[in-house]
Amino acid sequence: MSFLRERGMGASILVAALSSAFGVTLLATTGYLGFLAGDTLGEGGTVTLMIGILSSIFIVIAMYVGAIVTANTFSTIVAGRTRRIALMRLIGSTARAERRAVATQGLIVGLIGSVIGLGMGIAIAYVGTSIVGRLIDASAYDQPFAAWMALPAIAIVLTTWLAAWGGSRRVLSVTPLAALGGSVARTHEEARGGRAKNGFAIVLGLLGVLLLVSGLLLGLFTPVAVVVSFVGGLLSFTGLVMGSAAVMPPVLRVVGRAFGGSATSRMAAENALRYPERSSRMSIGVVVGVTLVVMFAVATETFERVIVTGLSQEDADATGLSAFLDVFSGVMMGLVGFSAVIAAVGLVNLLTIGVVQRRTELGLLRALGLSSSQIRVMVLLEAAHITIASTLLGLVLGVAYGWIGAQSTIGYMPEGGLIVAPAVPWAPVAVVLGSMAVLTLVAAVTPTRLATRISPVEALAA
Amino acid sequence: MEITTSDLGLAARVTHLTKRFGTGDGAVTALDDVSVGIRRGEFTAIMGPSGSGKSTLMHIMAGLDEPSSGTAWIGDTDITSLNDRELTLLRRRKAGFIFQSFNLVPTLDVKANILLPFDLDGRKPAVPEQHRIQDLVYDLGLEKRLTHRPHELSGGQQQRVAIARALASGPELVFADEPTGNLDSATGREVLRILREASTNGQSIAMVTHDPIAASYADRVLFLGDGRIVADKPRQTPEEISAHMLRTEQEAAA
Repeated sequence: MSFLRERGMGASILVAALSSAFGVTLLATTGYLGFLAGDTLGEGGTVTLMIGILSSIFIVIAMYVGAIVTANTFSTIVAGRTRRIALMRLIGSTARAERRAVATQGLIVGLIGSVIGLGMGIAIAYVGTSIVGRLIDASAYDQPFAAWMALPAIAIVLTTWLAAWGGSRRVLSVTPLAALGGSVARTHEEARGGRAKNGFAIVLGLLGVLLLVSGLLLGLFTPVAVVVSFVGGLLSFTGLVMGSAAVMPPVLRVVGRAFGGSATSRMAAENALRYPERSSRMSIGVVVGVTLVVMFAVATETFERVIVTGLSQEDADATGLSAFLDVFSGVMMGLVGFSAVIAAVGLVNLLTIGVVQRRTELGLLRALGLSSSQIRVMVLLEAAHITIASTLLGLVLGVAYGWIGAQSTIGYMPEGGLIVAPAVPWAPVAVVLGSMAVLTLVAAVTPTRLATRISPVEALAA
Repeated sequence: MEITTSDLGLAARVTHLTKRFGTGDGAVTALDDVSVGIRRGEFTAIMGPSGSGKSTLMHIMAGLDEPSSGTAWIGDTDITSLNDRELTLLRRRKAGFIFQSFNLVPTLDVKANILLPFDLDGRKPAVPEQHRIQDLVYDLGLEKRLTHRPHELSGGQQQRVAIARALASGPELVFADEPTGNLDSATGREVLRILREASTNGQSIAMVTHDPIAASYADRVLFLGDGRIVADKPRQTPEEISAHMLRTEQEAAA
C-alpha cells in the first residue's frame, strides 16, 4: 500500500471522493425533492423521475471529467515510474503483469475515494434533510439515504479502475533497456498513432455541426428543433473531447505565443506542449466545465431576453418567469461547475508532477542562473497557459452552444428569429473568469514551492 | 590592503575550505581544509577517485553549494557571503557550466540554449558578444543546427552546444563536470581539444574528471584524495597521471 504515498495518488483519491460525494448527494437530494413533492402535491413519482434524469446527467458529466483526470494522472505516474517498471521487466516481469499492477492500484484508489465520498454524501443527506425539513416545516423524512443512492459510488470505483487501466497503456512500451539508459528524462512523448480515434472524432464533430445548423434552421419553424440541436451539441462536443489531442495544442500554441519571447515564458509555453496529449486531456476537463457553465448562462439569458421583450414588464414579474429562469440557470451552472472543480484538482496535480519529473532540468536551469523569482514566474505562466487556453475555448464554445440552444427553441417566435444576437450575461462570465484566475494562482502554489526548493547539486547528481 | 584574487592572477580560489555532510557517526568530511587557486587563462583538471571530494570542491567554487567553513572567491567576489539571489546572478554572469549529461533544456532549440544565460539576464548579447557567439557556433560546427531541438542531436553535438553556451558570455571561469563521461572516446577527445583551445584563447577552465586521458589535456592537474589536495602538477601524460593515481591507491591500501 506504500504506492498511496506516491505523488498523484492522493489527488486521484480526492477526485474519486469528490465525484462520489457529488453523485450520492445529488441522488439523495432527488429522493428528498420527490418526497417533498409527494407530500405537498401528491406527485412524488413523476418529480423524482424528472429530477432523477437531470441528476444523472450531471453525475455522468462529473464522472466523465473525473475519469479523464484519473486516466491522465495515472499516465503521468507511469511516465515517472519508467525506470522502476523497466527494472521489473529486466528482472523478468511481463508488461501485462506490470500494467495489471497499475490498474489494481487504480481499483484500490477508486475504492478508498468512493467510500470516503459515500460517507460524505450520506452525512450531507442526513444533515441536509433535517435542516431543510426544519426550515420549511415539512413532515418527518424517514429515509434520507437509500441503497440506490450509493450507485454513483459503485460506478466511480469502476470508472477509476478503468481510467487507471486506460492511463497505464504506456507501461506496455517500457523496455527493460530503459533501466540501463541514462536518457529517460530527455525523451519526448512521441505523437502516438491515434488516427482512427481522430477520424472518428472528426466524423462525430461534423455530424454534430450539421445537426446544430439544422437545429438552428428548424428552430425558425418549431421549438422542437432544440432536440436536434441538443443531439448535435452532444455529438460535436464528444467529438471535440475525443479529438482534444488535435484541438488543444494549436490553441495552447497561440496562447503561449502571447506570453512573449523571454526564456522563462518560452519555456513555460513549451512545457505544456512537451506532453501534448497529457496537457490536452487536462485542459479539456477545464474546457468542459467552462463551456457548460457559459452555455447555460448564455442560453437562459438569450431565452429570457426574447421572452421578456414579448411581455410587458409587469407580466414578466408577475409570472415570476425571470426569477425562475435565473434560479434555474444558477442551479444548473453550479452543478456543471462542479466538474470544473474536479478538473482543477487534475490541473494542480499535472503541474506538480510536471515539476517533480523535471527536477534535473530545473537543477540545470538553477545552475545556469535561473533565479527563484524567475521560477515562480515560469510555474505561474505554465498554470496560466492551460487555464487561459481552456477558458478562451470554453467561452467561445459556451456562447455558441448556448446561443444555438436558445435560438432553436425560440427562433419561431416573432420576437426571435436569427437576428437575435447571443446575450452574454456578464455576471456568470465574470465569475468564470474570476474562478479561473484563482485556479491559476492555487494551482501554482505547490509546484512553485517544490521547484524553488530544488538544489542544483542534488538535481544534477541524479 | 588584502591581496585580491585577480592580483594573484587567479580566476577563482578557495581558502581553508571544509565541507562536512551529515552529523554524528554518519558524518563524512568531503573537503578538509583545502586552499587552492585556479589560474586565469589556464585549463585546470581536478582529478581524484570517487569520493575524493573533487565534485564537492567544484560545486562550492561555482556557488552551487555552501562550505561548512572557509572562503571561496570567483574573481574578486567572496561568494561565501552571498545570498541565493546574488549567487544566482553570479552564476549567470561569471560562470559557465558543462555537465556530464543533461546539459540542455529540451524544450528550447540550439540557439535558445546557447543564448540562455543572456536570456535569463533579460538582455541581448552586446556586439562583441554576438561576434564571439558567431565564431563559437562556426568553430563548433553548429551553424546548421541552430533551429534543432536537443533530442535531434548526437551526444557529441549536444556537448558542443553546452560548450558554446558556457563560453558565450566570456565568463570568469568555466566549470566542466566529467564533460566526456557520456561520450565515446573519439567524440570525447574532440570535446577536450575544444576546451583546450578555448583556454589557449584565454578562457579559464576547471574540469573535474577521473579519466587520466581527459586530465592529460589540461595545463595543470590537481589531485584530490580524501578531501585534501595531495598533488599539484603541470601538464602530465596519461601514463604519468595513471601512475600517480595507482601509487596513491596502493599507498592507501598498504
